[in-house]
Amino acid sequence: MRKSQFLMAFLSAACLSAACASAQTLTVGLDADPPRLDPALSTALVDRQVMNQIFDKLVDLDVNLKVVPALATSWKVTNGGLTYTFKLRSGVKFTDGTPLDAAAVKYGLDRNRTLEGSARKNEMSSVKEVKVIDPQTVQLTLSQPYGPLLAVLTDRAGMIVSPTAAKKAGADFQNNPVGSGPFTFVSRVRQDNITLNANKNYWGGAPKIDKLVYRPFTDGDVRYANLLSGAVQAITPIDPKDISKLEQNPKFSVLNYPGIGFQGIWFNVTRAPFNNKNFRQAVAATIDREAIAKSIFYGTVTPAAGPFPPGTAAASSAIKVQKPDIAVAKQKLGGKPLSFTLLTTPGSVTTQLAQVYQAMFAQAGINAKIEQVEFGTLLDRADKQDFDALMLGWSGRPDPDGNIYDFFVTGGTNNQAGYSNKSVDSLLAKARAQNAMSARVATYNVALGTIISDTPYTWVYFQRNLVASVKGLTGLKPIPDGILRFKDVDLK
Amino acid sequence: MAVFALRRLLSAIPTLLIVTVIVFAMVKLLPGDPARLILGQEATPQALAELRRSLGLDRSLPQQYLSWLAGAVRLDFGTSLTDNSSVSRLIAQKLPVTLELSLFAMLISLLISLPAGIVSAVRRNTWVDRLLTLLALSGISLPNFFLGILLIYLFSIRLAWIPASGYTSLLENPGRNLLLLLLPAVTLGVGSAAVLTRYLRSSLSETLNQDYVRTAHAKGLTARQVTSKHALRNALIPFLTAFGLQLGGLLGGAVITEQIFSIPGFGRLLVDAVFTRDLPVIQGVVLVSAVAVFLVSFLVDLGYAAVDPRIRYN
Repeated sequence: MRKSQFLMAFLSAACLSAACASAQTLTVGLDADPPRLDPALSTALVDRQVMNQIFDKLVDLDVNLKVVPALATSWKVTNGGLTYTFKLRSGVKFTDGTPLDAAAVKYGLDRNRTLEGSARKNEMSSVKEVKVIDPQTVQLTLSQPYGPLLAVLTDRAGMIVSPTAAKKAGADFQNNPVGSGPFTFVSRVRQDNITLNANKNYWGGAPKIDKLVYRPFTDGDVRYANLLSGAVQAITPIDPKDISKLEQNPKFSVLNYPGIGFQGIWFNVTRAPFNNKNFRQAVAATIDREAIAKSIFYGTVTPAAGPFPPGTAAASSAIKVQKPDIAVAKQKLGGKPLSFTLLTTPGSVTTQLAQVYQAMFAQAGINAKIEQVEFGTLLDRADKQDFDALMLGWSGRPDPDGNIYDFFVTGGTNNQAGYSNKSVDSLLAKARAQNAMSARVATYNVALGTIISDTPYTWVYFQRNLVASVKGLTGLKPIPDGILRFKDVDLK
Repeated sequence: MAVFALRRLLSAIPTLLIVTVIVFAMVKLLPGDPARLILGQEATPQALAELRRSLGLDRSLPQQYLSWLAGAVRLDFGTSLTDNSSVSRLIAQKLPVTLELSLFAMLISLLISLPAGIVSAVRRNTWVDRLLTLLALSGISLPNFFLGILLIYLFSIRLAWIPASGYTSLLENPGRNLLLLLLPAVTLGVGSAAVLTRYLRSSLSETLNQDYVRTAHAKGLTARQVTSKHALRNALIPFLTAFGLQLGGLLGGAVITEQIFSIPGFGRLLVDAVFTRDLPVIQGVVLVSAVAVFLVSFLVDLGYAAVDPRIRYN
């Protein structure tokens, strides 16, 4: 009896001290350990969760995906869309004391577009030169008009690193990132935590929380258990199956808002069987997108009609979600047998989804075999066009161009189907060069008419952003890019 | 004894060399391209070629193997593809965590299996023995992930006594370190205790049937004296082997348990490296665990030889 009392006292004392230490600390559970905290080198979505707190960007997004001032207080687009002139906020310093002026911005942008191994080269390829006009003015000259540029600068391409720290750390900058953001990097222990401290001198006012800790939990159940037990105060994403349990729990709040990405199936148009357009259309016609959203995702995704999710600038009501029609599918098959292999990655949701597709295809007599390979292999085989059909989506970009251009232009980096259509190519190029969004949207809709009929890809659903937190956490804005910004967040 | 130890160590060199070839070949046989995985969906062909060259993936396999082996013997396993940090440094960070967890788990396992095994053997075929056998069989069949989640549910969510996950180093805060390692150590220890209980029961039962035990009884010693002074010591020899195997297995990475309790140990380093196709890390971790398993079995052999001189002369 005495022994167990002692144990209880010991355990509760340890828990209490843990709770006390975390009074000003916000711990957030992520679904992966962010691999690279360097805006130039990062290729993972989860990196952006952390980097957004450490680095300021030239411009940012608001909840309506509108580009708003950040380091740049204003900007002008002149010379037929070839010149972008940014006025910078004055008096901003990096957390290592380096002044953030036009020279530092030039350094950061040039680093992103030229550093060896930079993943930003593609999205910044239209930038010809970055010029310092005066200490508060930076000018970008483009080789050809590129409407999406501002949206691109709201993400990693527009993050400005401290030149002093980047030059000093070299290749190790990703383990010692220094920016001018609302939080400063303190330390990381791989697979355990990334710790940030509030930047008390932040130009936009100091954050309300003192310390921000990110912890990776790859397993959804473990992430959920840690939220329930109080080890973390927020998690993202939540497994769809846990949503309703969390919504009914009075201790937690759930944010469930549209994202900007899409998911669906690629068809390899360069070889049989899917060099036959009728076969691609037949497969697309068997898919019941509403049923998938309801049964597999518990209503936490939206059935997709095209690459632009509802609420984004290019979303158009003219393009409707395709309804399943087995008669049409059979008619497209024309009595010919169709068998193919559907390539996907392992994981409970992808497996379930692949099996549901398989059953839907079978209704029209289409025989699909499922093959699962890990993500790197999937991408590799997609590059080599060594597949029939594969399940692959996209996390999305705020500008419509980032959700369509590279996917359907001939030879595009994300054109896994090997699709090529001259009229689509010229429409996509035209949309890119237009500056007025309404004109671009009209151009996209014409291009999409052809793409949907050609069916190199069939869209199935749009992901939503799912965030759960304790009730005491306030101030999180539902910005559709899915990145949580913690500057104005408070924890009571 | 020293000759015996030296002979055992030397004979391990070819084995370890074969292990390095297998580890290297295994990783190379994995399908897919690490460069593609690192650069993700946005990669351009030029960037891919650049990265492959800088990773040395364009060299021939024997060249890659030899330069890797040359590094490995100097404990230099290269740099991680994900964040450029030294693989040796990563291993040096993670190995002590798993070592501590494994030792803690084995301590729990001993605390359970020693008394349970002895009672089972001494009270063979009574209700106590049957009950312990039933418990041991359940312990063996209960998967780690299930027991782990169950413990989290009970102690972290329902009772809120112990945090559900995390790790603090022993030096930084010993109390919190032990608290955080308690549930994972129990999760690992229970499975191992069940196996060890069965081992001890059978080896002790066998010893208790030996002639010298009957002699000891005939000399008038009490049952307790016979068991503890004569039988148990001999029965512990095979038990030691089983113990070594269990410990070796844990050092190789308590993968699932570390995943459930988010412990930044060896197992999770490996799992993450496999997912991110971080070849140097996979190679380093697998090689170090192979060496760790070898070292544990070597120490067990030495212990064995110390207890039983017959082994040394064979």
